[in-house]
Amino acid sequence: MKKRNHISIRAGFLFALPAAIYMLIFVGYPMIQNFILSFKNVDVYTFSDTAKQSFVGLANYTELFSGEEAILSTAIANTLIFTVISIFFQFFIGFGLALLFSKKFKGSSFFRGVTMISWLLPVTVAGLLFKFMFASKGGIINQLFMSLHLIDAPLEWLLDPKLAMAAIVVANIWIGIPFNMMLLITGLTTIPEEIYESSKLDGANKFQTLFQITIPMIRPAIMSVLTLGFVYTFKVFDLVWVMTKGGPVNSTELVSTYAYKLSFEQFQFSKGAAAANILFLILFVVGIFYIKLINDEEEVM
Amino acid sequence: MKKRMVSVLLCLAMAAGMMAGCSGGGDSKGSSDKEGTTGGKESVVIWDYFETDAQKNMMQDMIDGFNESQDKYEASHVYVPFADYEKQLTLGMASGELPDLVILDGCGMASFIEMDLFGDVSAADIKWDEYMEGPMSSTMADGKHYGIPFATNCTALFYNKDIFDAAKMDYPDENTTWEDFREMAKALTKDGVTGFGNAATGTDEGTFQCLQWLYTAGGDYQNIKGGMDAYKLMQEMVAEGSWSKDCVNWTQSDANNNFVAGNLAMQQNGPWQIPGIEKDAPELNYGVTVLPKKDADSGQATSILGGENMGAVKQDNMDGAIAFMEYYDQTDVMIECMKQYGSFPPKTEAAQDSYWTDDPIQKAFIQQLDTSIPRGPSASWPAYSDAIQTGFQEVMTSAKTPEKASEDTQAAVDKVKASEK
Repeated sequence: MKKRNHISIRAGFLFALPAAIYMLIFVGYPMIQNFILSFKNVDVYTFSDTAKQSFVGLANYTELFSGEEAILSTAIANTLIFTVISIFFQFFIGFGLALLFSKKFKGSSFFRGVTMISWLLPVTVAGLLFKFMFASKGGIINQLFMSLHLIDAPLEWLLDPKLAMAAIVVANIWIGIPFNMMLLITGLTTIPEEIYESSKLDGANKFQTLFQITIPMIRPAIMSVLTLGFVYTFKVFDLVWVMTKGGPVNSTELVSTYAYKLSFEQFQFSKGAAAANILFLILFVVGIFYIKLINDEEEVM
Repeated sequence: MKKRMVSVLLCLAMAAGMMAGCSGGGDSKGSSDKEGTTGGKESVVIWDYFETDAQKNMMQDMIDGFNESQDKYEASHVYVPFADYEKQLTLGMASGELPDLVILDGCGMASFIEMDLFGDVSAADIKWDEYMEGPMSSTMADGKHYGIPFATNCTALFYNKDIFDAAKMDYPDENTTWEDFREMAKALTKDGVTGFGNAATGTDEGTFQCLQWLYTAGGDYQNIKGGMDAYKLMQEMVAEGSWSKDCVNWTQSDANNNFVAGNLAMQQNGPWQIPGIEKDAPELNYGVTVLPKKDADSGQATSILGGENMGAVKQDNMDGAIAFMEYYDQTDVMIECMKQYGSFPPKTEAAQDSYWTDDPIQKAFIQQLDTSIPRGPSASWPAYSDAIQTGFQEVMTSAKTPEKASEDTQAAVDKVKASEK
């Protein structure tokens, strides 16, 4: 008995080995390298000469945060605003559509497929489309608003700092809705039909069914959607890079675009790595929260 | 069981998302066979970012000419998109997948020399003393040559003659001052036309066009406060509507498209736009002159030198790259290439070819080249550029007053200066 247990533990390790090796090589190694890089002083002057590279401790991090108008602080605030507003709308619109498309009606699966298009489209393409749509001269959004008499003069969508943020948020919401919808639909299909039937017999109305049966039953799916959505949105890069490149005057600068600029435009490799690590640390905390959530759910089940 | 399905689906979605997040960076351009030979000849691989047909034809003609001129090397070129260019070079240095010769934006060369991408070619048989000083300085560091200037140009003032004629106004010329220029732009701003526009996007492309205003006002890239009058002029003209506010998102092509479409009475732009204008809008009645000077007593306005350099990638055997540069060093080869390319040859004598001096538009650029200066050169130029362009954007969007913006930009520039080694 004891021996058998021993073997099964060994077999368990054996099975886990490929995954562990994969993680070490493709995730662990670059991550550790990136951390090491962020504690060094690698920039355009020291890149080629390893003798000049030295460890500078947390200097890169403190420098990124120093000063009243540190771009990184702005970038973190921007990223948070961007993420929270995006998720809020993505989730509620996605949830509404999920409830709609989980009903069987004529053409429901067709339209469900059609909604996926915005998620299947490469983000760069979506970003370019929105850039054209938000153009202050000749953009379709200004045309539409003008013809509806919502505005008198064309709005400078991508030029005004506040409106530029609104524009990228709208674009991101449009892209993210199908992802929310699909995961929630999958969650909805896990609810057995009998529960709805019996609650109907007990005389529950539509609202009671929604709030007391549907939502509690798919709570794990909802939590997953929210945490995963947070992670995706927080590290978004291509959309913003295509639409505004972080401008005007850093008003749509996200942590990801700032890290890219530091590394590949200004060749401040160590500082870029430090900014990327801050992004990583924030998401790491969210990730732990997510894993804990999954484990708790499994215990309940 | 269904629960497990959900989690599997989630994991897949997450993995897919991570892949999507990572893709795009890793695809390095295949040119690792630089030591390879084709048909007994050594290959010379060149990277460029040329997009227009005229530029591509020029590149092909130049390569064909080189391949026919000797039988030891076989040159070929690889296109890398401009937006990814410096990133690909940086990644190439890490992975070792690099060409033999790189054609790159002149102002970026100092950074890459510092990062040890280029090798010393001072010993090559090249007539160094025939080159213009500004472009040449951008290929050098510590007195050593790392390549040669490939093309040189600068921006000047384009004006739409029809719009000026309709308003019965005189065209701008070399005597036009900032005050005259401002009044012209103001008078021409009506009926959907904006007086003036340039490229002020938040990248080095914007710095390239905006920085000259700062120099003309008396500042330089390290002395922002000295050029505060430029900030004032920009903010006031944008507020009047005579300098298009859209500029903060405009690239040089955007500015040119608006000029060609008749939305701008005047634009700041470079000679590389001329082939495109001739092709797309042959009926456009326009002229070019030097940029407006500060006031009647001051000399001709400064412009910023643009253009490309050729850099020889450091490796054990650089003979192929050197042979190619020696081929391009021939004045007649250079002139032919630059006629197709829409820029000026970086040799003083070559730029005096009648092709340019007999054409009133090209002549204006040659005149402007006299008072053009390079960006930097500094290995920290990208950081300078970022700080400087933020200042221009703050002024043009009225996010800050000229005084506050110049103070803050000066502080940002000082910080970059302190980090220089």
